[in-house]
Amino acid sequence: MTFFHFGNCVALAYVPYVIVYKCSGLAEYSAFWKCVQAGGAYLFTQLCKMLLLATFFPSTETATGGLDITGEFLKSTVDIADLVGLHIVMSKFAGKGQLKFMIAGMGWATAELIVTRFLPLWMGARGVEFDWKYIQMSFDSNISLIHHISVAMLVWLYSRSDLQKSSLPIVVTLLGLACYRPLIVEILMQAVGLGSWMLLLAKAGFTSVVALISLQMYLSIPSQGSNSYY
Amino acid sequence: MWFDEMGEIFEMFKGSFPLSFLFFVPILIIISPVSPVNAAQEFGVYRMQHYDLQGTSYGSKNSIINMEARSVNSKMLTRRCAVAKLQDVTMPKYRDLMTQNAASLLIILPKNLNNLSLDEKQLLQSLEQELLQEPSSVPVYFTTESEYLDDIYLDVQEGNSGDNAPTAWEALLSSASANGFQLVISGSPAEALPDFEIANIQGRLSGYGIEEQLPTIVITAHYDAMGIAPALSYGVDSNGSGVILLLELARLFSKLFTNSRTHAKYNLVFLLSGGGKFNYQGSKKWIEDNFEAAEGNILSDVAFVLCLDTVGATNNLNLHVSKPPKEDSPGGQLYQHIEDVAKEHFPEVKVGMVHKKINLADEMLAWEHERFSIKRMLAFTLSHLDTHKSPDRTTILDTREKVSAAVISRNAQHIAEALARQIYNLTSQGSFQMFTDTLSVEESVVTAWLDYFASEPKAAQLLKADSELIMTLEQMMARYLKDVRKTSIKADKRDPEFVFYTGADYVMNAYNVKPAVFDLFLALCIAGYLALAYLCAQNFHIIYYALKLTVIPVSPKSKVN
Repeated sequence: MTFFHFGNCVALAYVPYVIVYKCSGLAEYSAFWKCVQAGGAYLFTQLCKMLLLATFFPSTETATGGLDITGEFLKSTVDIADLVGLHIVMSKFAGKGQLKFMIAGMGWATAELIVTRFLPLWMGARGVEFDWKYIQMSFDSNISLIHHISVAMLVWLYSRSDLQKSSLPIVVTLLGLACYRPLIVEILMQAVGLGSWMLLLAKAGFTSVVALISLQMYLSIPSQGSNSYY
Repeated sequence: MWFDEMGEIFEMFKGSFPLSFLFFVPILIIISPVSPVNAAQEFGVYRMQHYDLQGTSYGSKNSIINMEARSVNSKMLTRRCAVAKLQDVTMPKYRDLMTQNAASLLIILPKNLNNLSLDEKQLLQSLEQELLQEPSSVPVYFTTESEYLDDIYLDVQEGNSGDNAPTAWEALLSSASANGFQLVISGSPAEALPDFEIANIQGRLSGYGIEEQLPTIVITAHYDAMGIAPALSYGVDSNGSGVILLLELARLFSKLFTNSRTHAKYNLVFLLSGGGKFNYQGSKKWIEDNFEAAEGNILSDVAFVLCLDTVGATNNLNLHVSKPPKEDSPGGQLYQHIEDVAKEHFPEVKVGMVHKKINLADEMLAWEHERFSIKRMLAFTLSHLDTHKSPDRTTILDTREKVSAAVISRNAQHIAEALARQIYNLTSQGSFQMFTDTLSVEESVVTAWLDYFASEPKAAQLLKADSELIMTLEQMMARYLKDVRKTSIKADKRDPEFVFYTGADYVMNAYNVKPAVFDLFLALCIAGYLALAYLCAQNFHIIYYALKLTVIPVSPKSKVN
């Protein structure tokens, strides 16, 4: 397709990030540099994950097309490292209070967007062949922005001491769900045979539910009632 | 310091955003890669004939396509590739396309050509004839139907409706929702092959006695085939059947000639000539060479020349002559023998003689025997066709299914008997049958040969002198005959009689593309979506507040911004 199409995809993928950055007040706190640091932490975490995967999880040679649930499960388990990474970012780099998880989530998601989405878009959306998958990919990046912010929020919640005891299991469950999201998506794709658009919709629904629940729990923390990130 | 200068440049861009945008976009466009590599679909296409013969060029000259697919019925075809099914294409339609400046034509042939009805077959054959006569520079491609191609065809048909929409708005809508296809032929363009070699294969069986003083019978068949697309020309009947018959005759007579009691007083020369569909270039050159040869002249005492052309179907056998032979000449005798054998052993066969004078004003000779007749040799062609004008000799419909091994075997037996009567002068023997038992024609061998011939296209431009088929034929001749030689013919450099071109089959890529209007629509939708996202983010506090209400009762102390 044309360069115009590439422009469309990039706009769809990146502009929401800018909107969130501007509107969430991060811009006012000049948290840009912090976000970059978080992005660096993301890269470092990915490197560690890759080392871990390469060392301890030798690639299983299954027939293509089949679903290797145990292998995928183990791989997703390694994604716990993401949570640890987010936690470290929040405890070491990020600023004060509730801005922490916004910075961490933003930086994390942006780094992922740049590393994993830009090149495929650049190579693919410019090709002669038109395919909806680049538009879908751009939508997917919007969803993962919400996903990363809510995960960061959950990690932050988990580390809080003033979290209500009753909501701790919910936090842990949601963290687990977020962690094993790729696996769940994979199983959904295999079992139900969802089309790519339906899959995207399912992802969006799932992510927004997680985000709403975590937001609600965040609000239930008494001290946060007074000053939000707005 | 250059650092400061950099800073200044940045300042410049900071000052005016639109300007900097204009500055970067062209750079991005230039450096952005356009990779046509990851095509979704590719399929084989067969290019139409392309050759020059005696100074006239035939077929379509160009081969490269990179254009959008359109239905043949659409109004706008300029610089586009018309996609049509066989039944859509007629000659008036083709001329119409040419006047509309269609840049290329892709014709989808049905999967099995034999399932066509008789009318459709006739249509295809006449189309083949006329397309070839119509000189054009537009690339014409043929391909066989597949599921994917059907989808393309349907999509292209639908896209057509955009052109005929009643209002501009509807046209815009339909063109935005349409699925376009960009058809790309990758590969090198067609090039002339000035050094192309056509091979003739000859072999002989020497008669009993002093070889030079014995009369010679020449049996010849051309081995190449012709159809609208070289890569689709299998030519099993024309002239695979003739070649098989010749090989069978060579086998049978080699057996007879090696036995001293049946060693006849005739020399037999077998010739497999090339370029038969190109005005019999192979036999022409062969005659010239052998006429000029001072010693060992095979053509000094020719009893007759028997050409075999298209003998693989129906119960007819026609002897085509350019001058009716006298009753007592060898030709007349052979005809008499053929008739007798038919009467005695093959009552179902209808033998006839067709007389057609050589038209020297005509550029193309009608039959191969005319090449010999011009040189005042007694020559005739045996064929089941009753006229040289029959399109059956130059069609892609000439496939394995058209030909029956039983008919070829029977014809081989028939002609072998007649020839034997001539050679051994067996007129007085009554209905004696010579080729029985160990000497009989083996139908299984004929079937195997037929299958082999049907397995690959045999257009002259695909059969180089060292191709596998030629090698096989040469080996077979060498098994039965003596003195087997392969001679190759090259066209004259300065004034070539024939020029062939490369590029018989190509791989075509079909890219699914969307029109520019679609991009515009998409941009509008995305802008709408982003505006919505912006509104949501701006008014996030409303959601925030609403959620908060569900969690804890709003205390007078809490303040929400």
